[in-house]
Amino acid sequence: MKLKFSLVTRRTFLNTLFFGWLAAFFSGTVYALMRFAFPTLGKEPDFVVLNWKDFAHIPPNSVKPFPWGGTVGLCYRKDDGSMIALKGVCSHMECNVAYKPAERRFYCACHQGWFDADGRNISGPPPKPLETFVITQEGEKLIIARKGVKVELPKA
Amino acid sequence: MNCPRLRDWLEERYDIEGIKGIALSKFVPEHRHDIWYYTGGVTLFLFILQFLTGMLLAFYYVPHVDFAYKSIIEIVTKLRMGWFFKSLHHWGAQMAILFLFVHLFGTLLMKSYRKPRELVWVTGFVLLGISIFFGLSGYLLLWDERAFAAVRVATGGAGAFPVVGGFIKAFLRGSIDVTGETLLRFYAFHVAILPLVTLALIGLHLLLVQFHGMSVPPSLEKEKLREVPFFPNVFYKDLMIWLVVLGVVVTLAVLFPPEIGVKADPLAPPPENIKPEWYFLFLLQTLKLFPGSILGMNGETIAILTVSGAILFFFLIPFLDRRSARGERSPLFTWIGVFYLIYFLVMTAVGFLS
Repeated sequence: MKLKFSLVTRRTFLNTLFFGWLAAFFSGTVYALMRFAFPTLGKEPDFVVLNWKDFAHIPPNSVKPFPWGGTVGLCYRKDDGSMIALKGVCSHMECNVAYKPAERRFYCACHQGWFDADGRNISGPPPKPLETFVITQEGEKLIIARKGVKVELPKA
Repeated sequence: MNCPRLRDWLEERYDIEGIKGIALSKFVPEHRHDIWYYTGGVTLFLFILQFLTGMLLAFYYVPHVDFAYKSIIEIVTKLRMGWFFKSLHHWGAQMAILFLFVHLFGTLLMKSYRKPRELVWVTGFVLLGISIFFGLSGYLLLWDERAFAAVRVATGGAGAFPVVGGFIKAFLRGSIDVTGETLLRFYAFHVAILPLVTLALIGLHLLLVQFHGMSVPPSLEKEKLREVPFFPNVFYKDLMIWLVVLGVVVTLAVLFPPEIGVKADPLAPPPENIKPEWYFLFLLQTLKLFPGSILGMNGETIAILTVSGAILFFFLIPFLDRRSARGERSPLFTWIGVFYLIYFLVMTAVGFLS
């Protein structure tokens, strides 16, 4: 049957069909490839549970590192004996910071950033203070949690 | 070729004389700036060297977070000539990047990028970017302290990019932090993805150069220049220079094998006075110029945007320099080129000395 009127020529129709099919095929392929190439990301932990014994006897004016997800946290005993915990990762470019006992400050060697004993950024490029954590002791356990996170331990 | 039967065999099937004719018809102009023509060839030679030494190292390197560092130590201590090829790969990379920059600034100041050679510039520029990524991914494979910190900074820096930053960072790291996933990913980039892309781009770059012929600097364009045949005159000179460069690289490799740092430990702070590879120093110094926050905005993001803008401008110079495209003198872009060069040199020197 021959149509009297048509909005498109046969060539346009077939071209649209062909390139439409091609576009659908490749967008599906690329989507699948990207899904595969893009990693399933882990998450930074809300809290970690450590052994109280390991951290109870840190000498004053020193730090002890603990694993915080894939990065590092630092337990820091101040001169007055109080203990705080902070994330040992510089807020600038994510290098690990080192504690300098003589200056009583934290130092990032990558771009010479300084933080004071409470983790506040005081000089160099860091834009923000170090993240500080909340410490709670429960029996033998030392729980270090992000601020504002409710810690729910799995029942043993 | 003193093998008449093979020659006849080939000649019956292929147009050997025709191919010879094409090769012999390539001429290169001779003038007082023609030394710059050899920088590209040297870079090509160093790339070939990198491919060869890289293939050898791939026989023994183990791309796993627990064994990578140990396998490097075994390559340099237990394998016959292992220390040499590891060192040669290191120095070959350093020299390749050095000559890429020399070639880049030569091209820039000779204005060889001007119409009709814009795409030669584009392919070359992409190759430079790839080479820097080659360098970064290559040195993470050592899995020592410095590599670990450098890749954290570099991928973290990419993360400061607005909108797409988080995506790029996660894609490069394969995880939220730099971990064994990152090592494996960078290994895949370093030995599979980047070499293939590099081969394709080098092929295209060379093809375009053959198509356009050698560019002559604008200041010499009006003069009548003597042209010399590529085969054998320029080709032999190329080989001579390559031999000298090979001598230099081998000497450096033998006398100054690179230090391997302490194994990367995600819980340990990086060593004092840590510095990235020299070709990142100008970026590092630029980042240091920016304060933590500017007018309430994140200084890091502004720094990254500024640097990206400057690099994008650099990349687009062939399309922005309308005057040299028309064959006129273009002092403005000469000054811009000189500015980029001086900035690069000064910032690298400051990074070295500070």
